[in-house]
Amino acid sequence: MTEIQAGRTAIDELAPSAQGLNGALLSVRDLQTHFFSREGVVKAVDGVSFDIKPGEILGIAGESGCGKSVTSQSILRILPKNGKIVGGEILFQNDDQIVDLATEDADGRLLRDIRGKEIAMIFQEPMSAFSPVHTIGDQIIETIRIHQVVSKEEAHDQAVEMLRRVGLPNPARNIDEYTFNLSGGMRQRAMVALSLSCRPKLLIADEPTTAVDVTIQAQMLELLRDIQADLGMAIIMITHDLGVIAELTDRVMIMYLGKEVEHGRVEDVFHRPQHPYTRGLLASIPKMEPGRVEIEPIQGVVPNPYAMPSGCKFHTRCPDFIAGVCETRDPPLVEVANGHEVSCFLYGGREELD
Amino acid sequence: MLIYIVRRLIVMIPVTILISIIGFIIIQAPPGDFVSSYIAGLEAQGDIIEPELIDSLRARYGLGEPIYVQYFKWVSSFIEGDLGYSMIYREPVVDIIAQRLPSSFTISLLSLILVFAIGIPIGILSATKQYSLADYSFTVVGFLGVATPNFLLALVGLWLLFKWTGNVAIGLYSPEMQNAPFGIAKFLDLVGHIWLPALIVGTAGTAELIRTMRANLLDELPKQYVTVARARGVKPTKLLYKYPLRIAINPVISTVGWLLPVLVEGEVLVSLVLGLPTIAPVLLDSLMQQDMFLATSIIMILGILTLVGTLLSDILLAIVDPRIRGAV
Repeated sequence: MTEIQAGRTAIDELAPSAQGLNGALLSVRDLQTHFFSREGVVKAVDGVSFDIKPGEILGIAGESGCGKSVTSQSILRILPKNGKIVGGEILFQNDDQIVDLATEDADGRLLRDIRGKEIAMIFQEPMSAFSPVHTIGDQIIETIRIHQVVSKEEAHDQAVEMLRRVGLPNPARNIDEYTFNLSGGMRQRAMVALSLSCRPKLLIADEPTTAVDVTIQAQMLELLRDIQADLGMAIIMITHDLGVIAELTDRVMIMYLGKEVEHGRVEDVFHRPQHPYTRGLLASIPKMEPGRVEIEPIQGVVPNPYAMPSGCKFHTRCPDFIAGVCETRDPPLVEVANGHEVSCFLYGGREELD
Repeated sequence: MLIYIVRRLIVMIPVTILISIIGFIIIQAPPGDFVSSYIAGLEAQGDIIEPELIDSLRARYGLGEPIYVQYFKWVSSFIEGDLGYSMIYREPVVDIIAQRLPSSFTISLLSLILVFAIGIPIGILSATKQYSLADYSFTVVGFLGVATPNFLLALVGLWLLFKWTGNVAIGLYSPEMQNAPFGIAKFLDLVGHIWLPALIVGTAGTAELIRTMRANLLDELPKQYVTVARARGVKPTKLLYKYPLRIAINPVISTVGWLLPVLVEGEVLVSLVLGLPTIAPVLLDSLMQQDMFLATSIIMILGILTLVGTLLSDILLAIVDPRIRGAV
C-alpha cells in the first residue's frame, strides 16, 4: 500500500465532519459509479479521487467513455436511472459543514439546495439546455427564486444583471426571448448566465465547447476566464480537448476507462507527461510546426466496457507494457514530482507484487 | 396572431365549398333521386302520396335539371338556413338535427373529457414508471381497448349493467323522464344514463391517448433541459409537469380538434346498440335510403365541425407553444 492510499484510509476512519477538507471546497475520494444494465455492469468511474480548492480551475480530460462526465453527474447526483454510486465519498464544504454528497438522497432537500446554488453545471448543448417553450428569463428567474427569498421583480433584475455580465447585447429584451430566437453564441452566454444566476462556489463545465464552432469556443473560454476572475468560483472543466485544458486550467486529471491515470499541474503534465496514455494523447494532437506533419495515434481501440482488461486498464494498448506485471494488478498512484501523480508501474509500485 | 386567425378563416371558405361539392356529388351519384325512391317505397307499402307535394319538391330542388343547377339551388337554400325536407322522417331537416345534435354533442364532449381525464394521467404514469407492473398492465389494457370494436363493448356494457342492476340502460333518459321538462331531476337522470355510452365511445381514444402520451413523455424525459432543470435544484414534481409534460402534451392538443368528428362517427354503432337519439343513426338511415337533404346536411355539419376543430387546435397549439407562435 502506498503512502497516499494509507493516508486516505486513515482519513476515512474519521467521521467526515470531523476531519476538515484541508482547505478544499470539494474532495472526491475513491469514487465508484457503476451502470447496471441487462448486458452487465459498466464500471464507468472506478476509484477516482481529487480535490479542488475555492477559486481553482481543474481540468478533467480523457476520451469519450472514460468516465469524466459520469464523475460530474455523480457530484450533482443527476445520474441516469441505471447509474449508481457504489463506493467512495464526495465531500463538499457546505458553508461551515462538510456533507457527503454521495450518500445523501439524490432528490432530497440538501441536494436540491446545493444544486444550482452552491454547485452549478453547464452542459454541452446550449440549444437543449433551455426548455424550448419557456423564455430564458423564466428559467433563470425560477432558479433564483428556488434558492433565494426574493420578489419576482428582484429576481428579474438579478437575471438581467447576470445576462448583462455574460455579455448579452440587450439583456432587458433578451430575458423574454426563447432559445430559438438567439444565436449560437448568445445561447452559450445565456446558459452560462443560467448556471451562474445564484453565484455558485463551484461550476462544473461538462464539455461546454464541444458542440460549438471554433469562434464561439474561443469566446466561451474567454467568458469563463472573465467570469471566474469576476466571481471567483472554482471550475471543473471537463473536456476531451487538451487545448482547452492548456488554455484555461491550473491542474489537470487525465482519465482512462474510469481510472485516474495522471494528475498534476498543467505545465508538468503537458511538458513532462509520464503515463504512456498521456504521452499518447499529447502525441496525437496535430501540430502546426513545420516538419512535424505526422500525428501518432494511440494504437488499438478502447476495450469493450463490459469486458474490461485486468490489471492496468491501458495495458492492452500500452507501448511500454511489462508482461507479468501490468495485467496482474492495478498500478498504485505514485508521486513523481511535487503534486504530480501517475498511476503506472513504470514509476514504481512493482516491489509490492508478491 | 389575429392576422393568422383571419387568414385561416378565409382559407376555410374554399375548403367548405369543396366539401359541399364533393358531398353533394357523392350523395347524388346513385341512380334515381330521393323522390322516386321515396314514392317507390311508399307505393310498395300501399300508401298514396299527394302529387302536389311531389311536384312542389321536384320544382323546389330542381330535380331533373342538370346537377349544377340542383347544387346551386341546394346551396342557396342551405345558406339561408333551409336545410330541406327529410323524406324518411317527414320532417324538416333542421328539426331533426336540432333534436339530435345536442345529444350527440353531449355524448362526444363527455367522451372527450373522459378520454383526457383517464388517458393523460395513465400515460404519465406509464412513462414515469416505465416497465413497471402498472405500465405493462395499462399497455395490455390499452391494446385491448384499441382492438375491441365499440359496438361489442356496448353489448358487453349493456349485459353487465343488466346483470348487476337489472336495468336496461337504453336511451339517454328513463321512460318516465323522456318528455319531462328539462330540470335538475332530468339532468340527474341524463347523468345516470350517459356515462356508459360516453365511456364506450371514448375507449379506443383513451387507449390511443395513453400510448401517445407515454411515447411523447418518454421522448422528452431524457432531454437535456430536464437534466439542466434538475441540476438547478428544481423539485421532482415540477421537473415533470413544468417542462417535459408541457412539451409532450403538444401533439395531443393538436389532435383535439379532429377528435370531435371522429367521436361523432365512432358513436354510430354504439348509438344503434344502445338506442340513443343521436345524429349518427340518422346519418346511417339517410344514406341507406337516399334521403339526400338529410344526408348532405349532416355531412356538411361534420365537415364544418372538422374545420372549426382543426382551427381551434391550431390556435390552442400556438398559445401553448411559442415555437409555433413565432412561425405564424
